[in-house]
Amino acid sequence: MPDSQNLGAAGSETPVRIDVFGATHCGKVRPVNEDQFFIASLHKSMRVHQTSLDDLGAFARLSGSTAYLLVVADGLGGHRDGQLASGTAVTTIAAHLGETIGCCYSFDVDEEHAFLSQLEDAVARAHRQVLQRHAGDGGRGPATTLTMVALMWPRAYVVHVGDSRAYYLRGGRLRQLTRDQTAYEQLLDAGVVQEGPPGSPGIEDRMKNVLTSAIGFEITPSIGLVDLEPGDVLLLCTDGLVKHVPDADIAGILGECGSAEDGSRRLVDVTLERGARDNVTAIVGRFAAS
Amino acid sequence: MTQKKICMVGAFATGKTSLVQQFVSSKFSEKYHSTVGVKIDRKEVDVAGGQVKLLLWDLAGQDKFQSVQGSYLTGSSGIFFVVDGTRRETLTELAGLLAMVQDTLGAVPAVIAFNKADLVDQWQVGDGDVAALRGEGRHILKSSAKTGAGVDNAFLWLASQALKTDRG
Repeated sequence: MPDSQNLGAAGSETPVRIDVFGATHCGKVRPVNEDQFFIASLHKSMRVHQTSLDDLGAFARLSGSTAYLLVVADGLGGHRDGQLASGTAVTTIAAHLGETIGCCYSFDVDEEHAFLSQLEDAVARAHRQVLQRHAGDGGRGPATTLTMVALMWPRAYVVHVGDSRAYYLRGGRLRQLTRDQTAYEQLLDAGVVQEGPPGSPGIEDRMKNVLTSAIGFEITPSIGLVDLEPGDVLLLCTDGLVKHVPDADIAGILGECGSAEDGSRRLVDVTLERGARDNVTAIVGRFAAS
Repeated sequence: MTQKKICMVGAFATGKTSLVQQFVSSKFSEKYHSTVGVKIDRKEVDVAGGQVKLLLWDLAGQDKFQSVQGSYLTGSSGIFFVVDGTRRETLTELAGLLAMVQDTLGAVPAVIAFNKADLVDQWQVGDGDVAALRGEGRHILKSSAKTGAGVDNAFLWLASQALKTDRG
């Protein structure tokens, strides 16, 4: 099973050329890679064979790939337990969406929110599956983060649980689309702690590793979206990346990379060069005007 | 159940996210987090016109790097404009945002909240500013995302107005 896949260009009706690639590595300390990633395109197509109609423009958008699904998950629990949890979560989500999802062809409010509900349902089903399959006698078992983007150009829908992250780069500026669901963030919200420098010792830093929401534990998915533009670069990653690579370096690599494969591999490589205490996974999506 | 999309619109750091958080979860965060793109929350409410599920689109605030994208407004049944009473420039920016929404959606139910009423001693806007907007027929109120004052009233009024429209 390869650890990466390049989906290449989307259908000709897509106004941008979409280049997506994922890379993952066990890191230099952990014995098992508990991260998972998933990249897929969703198709609902109509191929017109013959017609008396003069104008076929209305059908152009129905003739190719209509959506991309990108997922990263970071299993928690140690050894193979976390790997099983993240694997179960990603498999369940992919299967659920493969079975149920319709593509959203317009920004009609009801249609768009029905689509978002399907994404949330997939996450809820993954949560139930992880609990059902892996919970121990005390009802506690391995868990996993999950960050998912469903892309229907130009709109990227983001569903997020835990502390993996989604970013996008525009005009050299890196913006974080997700917010970590950790005890540290809760303490910040409550005004109990102040933001310190990354890697600062003390209880605040340790609280960054305590998740307040995770699949297999309890979930409070956050939902969001962003409209992308040609030239933007999208990144989904696990926290193994951001523990070693600050935003400025991520922005530099994403801005310089010649392809999604180059970008994702360079992000993993620089993490390894800096010690890679955790598993690391990066999915990079580049969107170029066609 | 009827669904209505409400967009939160305003300059950056006016308290849009905090107002939604207070309305949906009765929580207030002491830490400012800049919204990127759109954050979506939902809440079901009962108003005079019936039950309605509000789809709350919290749009990133307008700043020097980004303006409010009209594409996010499509299908909205109501707009919740937010002004930070402690920063007069956010009232100045409101005029442009009102015009942008008018151009994008036409006439749509809207409320304008002068937020941070808990810091009224630091306000840079006055009753004259509020009266001027009221004079244009707009629904204005004061709110505090921190204390919750005025928050439910603003959302529920907008929900009731949104229910009267055919939009969203």
